[in-house]
Amino acid sequence: MSKITKESLENIAKQPKKEENNWIKVGMSSCGIAAGADEVFKVLTEEVKKRNIPVAVKKCGCVGMCSVEPLVEVNVDGMPQVTYGRVNGEVAIQIIEEHIHNHRLVNDHIYDIQVKK
Amino acid sequence: MDKKIIYIKDTSFALDRTKDVHAILLNGLRDRGMQDSVQAVRVADIGAYNQGVVVKVLPDTTYYGVKDEDLGRILDAVKQGTVVKELAARKEPGQLRIVLRNCGVIDPESIEEYMANEGYQAIKKVLFGLKTQDNTIDEMKKSGLRGRGGAGYPTWMKWNFAKKMASDQKYVICNGDEGDPGAYMDRSVLEGDPHSVVEGMMIAGFSVGASVGYFYIRAEYPLAVERIQKAIDQCYANGLLGKNILGSDFNFDLEIRLGAGAFVCGEETALIASIEGKRGAPHPRPPYPSVKGLWDKPTVINNVETLANVAYIINRGGDAFAKVGTQTSKGTKVFALTGKVKNSGLVEVPMGTTIREIVFDIGGGVYKNKNIKAVQTGGPSGGVIPKDFLDTPVDYENLQKLGSIMGSGGMIVMDEDDCMVDIARFYQRFCFDESCGKCSPCRIGTAQMLGFLSKIAEGRGEIGDLDNLRRIAQSMQRAALCGLGQTAPNPVISTLRYYEDEYRVHILDKKCPSKKCRDLLSYKIIPEKCKKCGLCFMNCEAKAITGNKDDGYIIDMNKCVRCGRCFEVCKFKAVGKE
Repeated sequence: MSKITKESLENIAKQPKKEENNWIKVGMSSCGIAAGADEVFKVLTEEVKKRNIPVAVKKCGCVGMCSVEPLVEVNVDGMPQVTYGRVNGEVAIQIIEEHIHNHRLVNDHIYDIQVKK
Repeated sequence: MDKKIIYIKDTSFALDRTKDVHAILLNGLRDRGMQDSVQAVRVADIGAYNQGVVVKVLPDTTYYGVKDEDLGRILDAVKQGTVVKELAARKEPGQLRIVLRNCGVIDPESIEEYMANEGYQAIKKVLFGLKTQDNTIDEMKKSGLRGRGGAGYPTWMKWNFAKKMASDQKYVICNGDEGDPGAYMDRSVLEGDPHSVVEGMMIAGFSVGASVGYFYIRAEYPLAVERIQKAIDQCYANGLLGKNILGSDFNFDLEIRLGAGAFVCGEETALIASIEGKRGAPHPRPPYPSVKGLWDKPTVINNVETLANVAYIINRGGDAFAKVGTQTSKGTKVFALTGKVKNSGLVEVPMGTTIREIVFDIGGGVYKNKNIKAVQTGGPSGGVIPKDFLDTPVDYENLQKLGSIMGSGGMIVMDEDDCMVDIARFYQRFCFDESCGKCSPCRIGTAQMLGFLSKIAEGRGEIGDLDNLRRIAQSMQRAALCGLGQTAPNPVISTLRYYEDEYRVHILDKKCPSKKCRDLLSYKIIPEKCKKCGLCFMNCEAKAITGNKDDGYIIDMNKCVRCGRCFEVCKFKAVGKE
């Protein structure tokens, strides 16, 4: 990796902030991992690979809703940004099939929805 | 065209009719031929509590307390793209995320993602925009940021003292020895956004003229340690740490030191001793660490949450930060909301938010819909705030007036089942265990107070014990060496202040009103309800229950060890507890 300089930081600041779509984030702090986020992350990466879906599965920290971990946040084109809670392997597959493939939200596991501007 | 989305949740405490409402909505959609263009979703949490059925129509219309007969009108409005004005609700109170701005948003192990979210812009601004230490400290002064570790000392003053000291070497330390029971916001920040703390350390280092910084993190947080180490490594690889950072003449190195699990090491002088490799015990102040700290050099110690605010303040300006909060307490505070609350978790709210808003609007109210009794803040150094004061806006001064402290931000909700003597005893035992033993007020005081509290909880209390507790508490507050001992009596003092009646019932009537103190309980079998099944008899380990399936059973309280097993196993509620 090349060194970061004053100029490269200025370039980053100048660039308009990219709104990346098509990702799934799994909360992987201690609270999430204790609740089983490891398995959810594994299932999601495997399913995305198996079905060849152009969606990036990423790790992130804790958003604070610790009582409903593991948390999975999904952002795909044409859908609001949704946070699913109490996700297990089964729900993870539902998220892939319903939310990402059929563009239908999964019942009973949504804890937060953000509308994209 | 994108599909429209309606989402629903029955937020009534009593009966959840979400599924019924969902079915009605699905039928309604089908009747109007909208089933393909609109999806109705059941959600698990809608951000509102005890408001009846809540229906949200994306993007921003919310209806509270919706009756079944209103659903048709709402669907008609959705079809026409309008809003049913008389049903639409106000905006709900929200959280404001400054410290947790990146937690759960970016990948904590990626420096690129941090940089794409304003990362390391603040250190650039400090080195090339503000240029001098004074300008940077001035910006911090404008922000009004106060230490988030508990005492609330203005951060800029701490930095300024250390800056003014002439010394060949100075240090900055990040205090990540989070030990309060129930508090874990520092862990979440370290795990979720390590780079923001690293950047805060760099800015602190520049401001005071330090070239070395230490992260002091407790060993119980392995993931936090791993991620901070990764962040430090990435910074070195990218030239953000080391010599001539970003081409300036600022040099800064960071290292991690692990805490070995002693609560007292969160106290700054004990923490310094621990980093130096000595036994983790405090020493008297002054001299304060900003004058004579680590290896006798001027040292600034800041809490994780404080440091996580720094980059934000520099980027947005101190004045912008100072707009949030109250007169004396600026910015936001992260609370770890735990105990008998529905949505336990981390909550970041502007200073001045009331406890009621935190517990009920964000936390969703008390678990199992019981009545709230009190809220405990500040961990073992804090106190209990009774339910009458729930509308107090949270800031450093207000909490102090109520006999508690802000502390590191633990907020434990207690309901009617919690006994205040038991709570005081729990915290006192914690302080007794964690007292380092160096000064006698704390070493002997915590042991004596725990003794009196145990005596009361076990039914041997005398009315004079209350005065003894108060006397010991006062002398500890005045004479103990460090913060641990000075604040250890706080849970006792505050429970005595608001719940003396409860102590008196324990002492005079030998009863525990919340049925928590084991030794004051007595169990008996209620013959009218007893079906003589023998389940309690079989489960009694102490052989205190005698009888048979024909004559019924009785409990011999002399043999009973009050384990509560019979009470739990009885399916007919025929075992009485009082």
